[in-house]
Amino acid sequence: MDVSDGDRPAADDSDEALMARIARGDERAYRVLARRHLPAMLGLARRILGNAADAEDVAQEAMLRVWTHAPRWQPLAALRTWLTRVVVNLCLDRKRRAPWVALEAAGELVDPAPGAAERSETEERDRRLAAAIAGLPARQRSAIVLTYGDGMSNAQVAEILDTTVSAVETLLVRGKQNLRRALGDAMDEDKE
Amino acid sequence: MTMNDDFLDAALKRQTQAPATDEAAVARVLARLAGPLPRQKRPFWRLPTVLLDWQFAPAWPRLAALGACAALGFFIGIAGIDRPIGGFTLSNSTTGAGFGAVLFEPEAVTGAQP
Repeated sequence: MDVSDGDRPAADDSDEALMARIARGDERAYRVLARRHLPAMLGLARRILGNAADAEDVAQEAMLRVWTHAPRWQPLAALRTWLTRVVVNLCLDRKRRAPWVALEAAGELVDPAPGAAERSETEERDRRLAAAIAGLPARQRSAIVLTYGDGMSNAQVAEILDTTVSAVETLLVRGKQNLRRALGDAMDEDKE
Repeated sequence: MTMNDDFLDAALKRQTQAPATDEAAVARVLARLAGPLPRQKRPFWRLPTVLLDWQFAPAWPRLAALGACAALGFFIGIAGIDRPIGGFTLSNSTTGAGFGAVLFEPEAVTGAQP
């Protein structure tokens, strides 16, 4: 059910215009939209899941939902917000199903660094922090990634997590408490 | 390690910032999406909207259909749906005689009363 070749979707068409085309079955518009949003969604999934392969699966599933749900999609919120919500929910579902394997994955959160011998104290702290973030409950981690990583407001995070602003604030406070506790324990072990 | 708020916030920003785009991963996912796409989910009210399309402007047959339905409704409303339209009723054949005339009519041949 592809549309005619008469007018091709342009790379600078708005998300809403592309979604209207996708709703009519325009696969080319879908490819343009996927190319536009896929990198950010992959990065987000990777930061929440801590696993590149799972992140690719989640990003693929989210982009397929864009295609299948396009005829029903209503432009009540920005597409990016809706898509972020889909990705976060898919990540949370995946975390519920799969047991957590923290430390191997946590290493992937850090940028590729020089060898172990050259690590500075800051890098060591960051590695521990990455491990502590990886060990957080999924919703706390999602809230932290969206707030600190993507710079979203509490209201935006609340919309994506389908909760209230005060609940987001609670998630952030508890997340940071857990991080302090985890990092404090790590420091105590160092002192011993 | 001092764990004050500023330090933690700065470290969290550093740790959770979006990584550089992994073009290889993007290409892999796009390649997976290049195959036949699944069927789209259409809203269930899509077909009825064809029937409930009240845009009359260029569609005179629809106006004619609406007018015919309105006329039919008017006549049924005037006449009453429980009454025959032709005007013939049983009461016409027994006008003035009442129902008893039907039950106690004389025998057609003999003229005998029941």
